[in-house]
Amino acid sequence: MLERQRLFWRRRPYDLPASDEAFLRACAGNCAYHIRHCPEYRAICARLRFDPAELRTMDDLARIPVLPTLFFKRKTLFSMPEWRMAMQVTSSGTSGKFSRIGFDWGCILAEVPMVLRLGFRHGLVSLKHANYVVLGYRPDPDNHTGVTRTMYSLTFFAPPLRRFYALRRRDGAYVPDLDGTAEALVRFAGSPQPTRIVGFPSYLWFGLQRIEELGLRVTLKPGSRIILAGGWKQHAGRQVDKQVLYARARRVLGVPEENINELFGAVEHPIFYNACRHHRFHVPIYGRILIRNPATLEPLPMGKVGLINLISPLMTATPTLSVMTDDLGWLEPGESCGCGISTPVLNILGRVGMADIQTCAAGAAELLGKGEAF
Amino acid sequence: MIFAHGGLLSDGELPHVLAHLEEEINGTRQTRTLPAERVIDALDGLGKRLSAGEFDALLARYLPAGTGPEALLPLLDRKSLEEKLRVELGPEPFAPRPMEGTVTRTEPLGTLFHVTAGNVPGLPVYSAVEGLLTGNVNLVKLPHGDKGLTLAALSLLTDAEPALADFLYAFDLPSSDRESLVALAALADGVVTWGGDGAVAAVRALAPAGCRLIEWGHRLSFAYIAGYEDRERELAGLARNIIGTGQRLCSSCQVIFLDTEDQETAERFCRAFLPVLEAESLRRSGPGALAQSTLCGYTAFLERAAGGLSAGERHYPGRGCSVTLRPDRELELSPMEGNVLVKALPRRELLGTLRRQKGRLQTAGLLCARGEREELTQLLCRAGVTRITRAGRMSETFPGEGHDGEYHLRRYVRMVDVERSLRERNNGTRPAMQPSPAVFEFSPAGNRSPSTCRCPERPAWAGPVSADRI
Repeated sequence: MLERQRLFWRRRPYDLPASDEAFLRACAGNCAYHIRHCPEYRAICARLRFDPAELRTMDDLARIPVLPTLFFKRKTLFSMPEWRMAMQVTSSGTSGKFSRIGFDWGCILAEVPMVLRLGFRHGLVSLKHANYVVLGYRPDPDNHTGVTRTMYSLTFFAPPLRRFYALRRRDGAYVPDLDGTAEALVRFAGSPQPTRIVGFPSYLWFGLQRIEELGLRVTLKPGSRIILAGGWKQHAGRQVDKQVLYARARRVLGVPEENINELFGAVEHPIFYNACRHHRFHVPIYGRILIRNPATLEPLPMGKVGLINLISPLMTATPTLSVMTDDLGWLEPGESCGCGISTPVLNILGRVGMADIQTCAAGAAELLGKGEAF
Repeated sequence: MIFAHGGLLSDGELPHVLAHLEEEINGTRQTRTLPAERVIDALDGLGKRLSAGEFDALLARYLPAGTGPEALLPLLDRKSLEEKLRVELGPEPFAPRPMEGTVTRTEPLGTLFHVTAGNVPGLPVYSAVEGLLTGNVNLVKLPHGDKGLTLAALSLLTDAEPALADFLYAFDLPSSDRESLVALAALADGVVTWGGDGAVAAVRALAPAGCRLIEWGHRLSFAYIAGYEDRERELAGLARNIIGTGQRLCSSCQVIFLDTEDQETAERFCRAFLPVLEAESLRRSGPGALAQSTLCGYTAFLERAAGGLSAGERHYPGRGCSVTLRPDRELELSPMEGNVLVKALPRRELLGTLRRQKGRLQTAGLLCARGEREELTQLLCRAGVTRITRAGRMSETFPGEGHDGEYHLRRYVRMVDVERSLRERNNGTRPAMQPSPAVFEFSPAGNRSPSTCRCPERPAWAGPVSADRI
């Protein structure tokens, strides 16, 4: 597993060609580990006749068995006993189903340099104390979602003075407290320290709307930041264009566009994707992305729309070496962005609609198990 | 939100509404009846407004893309509603039927508690309308994810006919609020459940003893191929059902059974059917639908591989679809979304195999030579299926058809026998129906009239008959 640490402790986070060899070696080691320790993964590799010894060039990455996130929602796979894991994290289960993924200690050790290096690179790290408004969930023992963990971690990039959480647990369900959030922002605007808003873009949008409805004028201190993560989730139907959202954030809170960071990641692929100053997601050295033909799953050339296949040798507790989300997207050459980062840019089009797969036969019963519906 | 008295209340009112509900329902049932005619008037009026496009904006907001109001129209049309009543309850649905010594009246069951699944938009409204047509008071638990269509539709209905307001209540309750669900079920004479096994079991646990359980659950459908009249057209029709419904409906084809024992014949069929299915799959526009089908099929393939279940299986992946030949003979749920299963099932084993799924069988799409259709239809009927169609029409609805082998409205009513007075009997009309000879033969004395018929003598050791054994 040293190959993994070698990759994640590398210095230049966007120098893909220089990291190719380390990446390939780490993937081969990771795959062999899962084959040894996870009988289900071993059976899949055998069925697809894949042997990690065949990983010789970067093109061979496409041959690693790719497991859809849908698969992890139906089946929990572990490659080590649970007591050896650092923690288990679940996806947010927008569709009513969620995956359970194990994190090993080596993974956490590898994440530290990745997060710090990218955090410095994208201006997230500051030594100045900040007040935090988290437009997300308060961590609690019943909430194991990855997004809660991520948002909580994000409140350490500048030393936290205090945290306000916008989503409150009431009667076993989360409800947004927009008025409380508006009040907290007004209060924090009066503090000499900058404010950091961390959260779902949907709740930022609803919060900004609410502040305007209440007729409040809030100008946050210079150096304040907005860090967006987690996507629009169940509010996808109300998604607004980034530029509209940023313009409103500047108008309502006085936070300029360059102080807005966007993050992308998945529980099954916890790589710290940061948007560049042009708000585009470039691939860092810790992962590789393939786009696959939605009808045949064959890899597609740059520019073609297909299913997003995320590859990273980060995890050893769960075989998430090569996972496929249910998002459609496409890659474009990094140079076209003009921000100075030359690695490919991932564009995400959105879900393919897996959320609503229900039948007379199967749907209602499955939801019942979660206590969500009959 | 709560829907009560024809208006919307906030969820905070729930304790208050529940506290007074029994009293209100009793008041309604004691003093009012709901003639089917008034319900039909209200629905027909709404149907006309719907056809005129008055609700287009509303429907666009609530119905999933690609769903039009056409599917709702039969529910909102006088002729089809009257036909439904006649077919399901008899030519004069609510007219008292004089019998020898009694009159049989068709009465509403009383209060119905509807628990519906969220997979078909409008299902809660449909279920409530059936309850209204039979004169019942209806309590509807909204499915998780009901975005407001049901509440909007119920409001329109009570606006059109205020008399319906006392017969309609809807509650947006999470399934975790067991206390409220039990309180609602306790008020019901019948609980109507739409959903899978889990939902049915959960609702059974809520319903008090003595409450009629009306369950429209989990069904599976399949195609049976024993030959062809027009091979190309019939296989294309079958492919259209598989892709068009996404295999999400109870009537969608999950498994294609072949009347053969020969593995090679089955493999040949899979290879021949794949391009037909693929042609239908590629007819869909946009990468989203294709991606969804591919992910579903591929994930199911991986699940089988991971579980070591794929030995002996042949997987034929297509573009946005797949055909999987499995060596067993069981009817089961496919991976769905255009990923169909194929199994060999010679006709002599058909009945025994399908019987293992009794209570779950719904539609059989039958492909066979013309001369064999009647024989195979009979075999499928005996095996327990409740619909037999051509392969391409498995998911079409036909006027007057039952649902899962039953007529809904018959479950939502009670037959009440009222003894006629002697004078009525002497002067009244002749009974409409003569007791059948079989009733007389059943009598142990052989020639007693039905009114004096009694059971054979009970031996003394059997003890007295207790109420719960009758």
